[in-house]
Amino acid sequence: MDLWLIGELALTGALVGLMYALVALGIVLVYKTSGVANFAQGAIAMTGGYATWAFATLLGAPLFLAIPLALATMFAVGFLIERAVLRHMVGQPVIMIIMVTFGMEIFLRGVMPGLFGVSVKRLDLGIPQAPLFVGEMLINRAYLIGGLASAALIVAAIVLFNSRAGIVMRAVSDDQGASWSVGIRVERAIAIAWGLSAGSATAAGILWGATQGVDWSLSLLLMKALAIAILGGLDSIPGVLLAGLIVGVCESLATGIVDPLVGGGTRDIVASLIILMTLLVRPYGLFGREQIERV
Amino acid sequence: MKLDRRDFLAGTAAMTLSAAGTAPAFAQDKVVKIGMPMDFTRVYTFVTAEYAQGHRDYLTLINDSGGAGGYKILADITDHGNDIPRAIEAYERMKREGAVLIDPLSTPVARALVPRALEDKINMVTTLSGRSDAADGEVFPYVMPLSPNYWTQAGILIDYFRQVDKDLKGKKIVLVHIDTPFGKEPIPIYQALSEKLGYSFQTFPYAPPGNDQAAIWPQVRRAQPDWVIFWGAGVGQTTALSEAVRNGLKMDRISSSVWLSESDMEVVGKDACKGVIKFEAAAGGRDPKVIQAIVKDVIGKGKGAGPEAKVGTSYYNIGVMMAAIVAEGVRKAAEKAPNGPVTGPWLNAGIQSIENFTADGMLPGITVTAKDHQGGGRGRVARWDGAKFVPQTDWFAANQDLVWAEIKKYSEEFKKTGK
Amino acid sequence: MLYRRAGIRHTSYRHERMLWPLPFDRTLVGVIAAFLLAAPFLIDRLYLVAYLLPWLIWSAAALGLNLLMGGAGQIHLGYGAVMAIGAYTSVHLVRAGVPFELAMLAGGLASAVIGMIFGVAALRVKTLYLAMSTLAMQYIVDFVIAHVPAISGGTQATIQVPPVRFLGLRIEGDIATYYFALAVCAVVMLFMLNVQRTGFGRALAAVREKDYAAEVIGVDTFKFKLLAFWTSSFIGGVVGAVLVVCYLRSVSPDQFHIDLSVQIVAMVIVGGLGSVLGSFFGAALILFAPIVLNNAVAALTSAAGLPLSADLRAHIPLMLYGALIVGFLVLEPLGLAKIYDNIRNYFLVWPFRYARR
Repeated sequence: MDLWLIGELALTGALVGLMYALVALGIVLVYKTSGVANFAQGAIAMTGGYATWAFATLLGAPLFLAIPLALATMFAVGFLIERAVLRHMVGQPVIMIIMVTFGMEIFLRGVMPGLFGVSVKRLDLGIPQAPLFVGEMLINRAYLIGGLASAALIVAAIVLFNSRAGIVMRAVSDDQGASWSVGIRVERAIAIAWGLSAGSATAAGILWGATQGVDWSLSLLLMKALAIAILGGLDSIPGVLLAGLIVGVCESLATGIVDPLVGGGTRDIVASLIILMTLLVRPYGLFGREQIERV
Repeated sequence: MKLDRRDFLAGTAAMTLSAAGTAPAFAQDKVVKIGMPMDFTRVYTFVTAEYAQGHRDYLTLINDSGGAGGYKILADITDHGNDIPRAIEAYERMKREGAVLIDPLSTPVARALVPRALEDKINMVTTLSGRSDAADGEVFPYVMPLSPNYWTQAGILIDYFRQVDKDLKGKKIVLVHIDTPFGKEPIPIYQALSEKLGYSFQTFPYAPPGNDQAAIWPQVRRAQPDWVIFWGAGVGQTTALSEAVRNGLKMDRISSSVWLSESDMEVVGKDACKGVIKFEAAAGGRDPKVIQAIVKDVIGKGKGAGPEAKVGTSYYNIGVMMAAIVAEGVRKAAEKAPNGPVTGPWLNAGIQSIENFTADGMLPGITVTAKDHQGGGRGRVARWDGAKFVPQTDWFAANQDLVWAEIKKYSEEFKKTGK
Repeated sequence: MLYRRAGIRHTSYRHERMLWPLPFDRTLVGVIAAFLLAAPFLIDRLYLVAYLLPWLIWSAAALGLNLLMGGAGQIHLGYGAVMAIGAYTSVHLVRAGVPFELAMLAGGLASAVIGMIFGVAALRVKTLYLAMSTLAMQYIVDFVIAHVPAISGGTQATIQVPPVRFLGLRIEGDIATYYFALAVCAVVMLFMLNVQRTGFGRALAAVREKDYAAEVIGVDTFKFKLLAFWTSSFIGGVVGAVLVVCYLRSVSPDQFHIDLSVQIVAMVIVGGLGSVLGSFFGAALILFAPIVLNNAVAALTSAAGLPLSADLRAHIPLMLYGALIVGFLVLEPLGLAKIYDNIRNYFLVWPFRYARR
């Protein structure tokens, strides 16, 4: 087999996987602190992409201003979602909460294209299109920058979780009752986690929007992000990093190597198969903590 | 009694239900009603808004100048969100209101409505989509593509390559397509032509919706093709083009189906993709006389159905094209039976007698017969020059014998097993 | 006053086990049944074909899923795939010449077997992880159907359903298909109404509450979880076959995507987990809300003449639909069935409201 091709596919796959991992980071953050699986994460990434485009194009703000503005706005949006919707669903069965997030996804998919128009929007980050060659491997500049940015953000999240604020959130995710009793403001920690999750979704939305244009299909990032979150462990942030790399590389290699044999689109199946394998072999993921149900 | 949240819910429900089922009432004669339930919100978002705008503007133009053959055409445009129950409800409702033509602009919906349209004798227009074998008017009397289907588009693209390269023997042609029935549809034609003309043909499917093609284009680059065709829709097209640019492929050897528009080129970067080719079914831009008439009489008088910036874009012009063909069909039907009751068969007879209709030079001459519902299968190839699509050839038809062999193959099967 | 509860005396155990002990309830059910039976002759064809028929079919599907989610407490996000398997199997068998009665049952059996394999995941993981694994299986089944030409029908990927006969009657046109769907829905509904009273239903309830506790008292969770998936998938397969024959009349892979699965889950949850009436209410809301909202928005904007962009006008129903789902779940998590229950409890003692417990 052509080693250069495999190398190139693996490298591109790793970078793309990191970009998906950014969305998964949001899912893990929310699950870690409030125990909710946020199926609206893809829609929030889409909203973030639209918000950035709105600031950059409609209001004409330069990029270095538009991006922080969008991040701040989406942080507030995440905060609001937690306050307005999830607060009322405390204690309900998991399936209800999943359904609420589905409902939010539909709502956001209606609001954003409705307000801003359905045509694909251009989000220009100023990344040059010219190819970059290392040996015989071509490295896609957009994916390179996207992947590195995602990796940086995920590492920042890991560092954050070792800081004081991070320890607060870890305490909340461990045991909410005990956190209350030592004086931690649990509601605020959860709301901040939702805000951060929305922020990371926005970053992902910006990076993906730069590669493919901003439209409703950004909300489809959800499935891959879920696969990564489950493989890495739904409550482990370093797991997101490793799982992102694994899922990205597997998908890329599958497209390159298995597709010609099978005759088509194995990419989507890779994510589903990874989920199934993980759940059957090691349900809590690579780094997840096993949940022991006590009688 | 304290108003609590349950009362609020009940009140909202009552208010919504009371507004349900209302429909605008039309009380005129000499009116042809057509129903256009389309997908504004789910999958076909990239084309529907502009298509509907073009359609509406043309109908306003026609109706303001007295209608087609004395008949005003009224279009009821709603959203079905690519959801079959909603589409069937819209179809039944429009049928009850007397629609004689339905335009769903969605392949799955068109497929689902085919049995009903054939049974109820209501004309169904499937623009550039739907069942490709519906071009066979004998098996599908009431399903009318009225536009080149994907097989025809494939045939014309290959013929254009042959015209440029003089001889395709030994060349390599690659198809990057979305891994759905729509993307796989032209493959039999490409394969048949590869045997006939001697080029080698390779396919690279990508998973729908196509926003992640990072693993496909390096392979395409390595295959070192002479010609690349990308066959997708919406975000699949912009991603494909961006990836092609980033992989350093030569733009003037890359071609697309009809689903490529100015907004796609803007997302990728207008200068970055200079030279890309696409298939054109109707003349683009604001040059055609019909578009100029619309700009003057409809937009100028403030009756435009959408933003003015979209007038003259590819999908807007396709909308105008289909509206023009339908209006011509009405005119012909009125010629045959001026007072005839407006029914499906009435309009059907009119559409099937359209001859060499060019809409003042915007279309290749469309001729619809009882056997050929495709309209002749003519199109042309246009190239992006950085600001607009410039036609490279005249209107021509190519490889129609191969296309019709495919059409007959599938329509025979439908005739055997359908109703 | 309406729900007379006085004077109802049971003289046998069988009498005491009635589904609807109050005469008002029985009359209500009778009226609705009579209306549904006479519907083709009473109401407009549009409402029959576009509203009543899909409602019956989707309610039957929601009932099937309710057995699994409300009865056994398992989450299943892949019900669309189950229906797809049933639909494709029965259509292929009918085209091969097998009589429709057998083809329908065979479709149900194929779904049941494959659905049971889905259920293997339930033995390993719970709640959210189970939801994810059923979601993954939905995608895999989608992929298999779309990529195996023998199943999906080649490039055109649409298979026409040939005319079928059930017990000698032709299932074609509006009226026959309506009655057939009504019959299937009635059978599924009767099954669901009575399953809670059987040993099977009680075992599922035990598994739903706490499966290891059920194991302790002797209920074989392994067997009953798999049986729950088997039964629910059988119903799903049969309903899938009915859906394709009566309503869609052609089968293609994009009719059974994740959207359908999420739609049916939404029907079950918004209607009320475990409630038969709730499945009907939920199906009506989820199915009709987009249509009704679309018509309402169109009527309001044309009446009020608001200059909204076409994009916004088309997306407002979607926004309202999402908000509706979120609103119902936040305000009344027990679903529409609970709202009905509250109304019924109010009228149960009306006008003597002080008598309400």
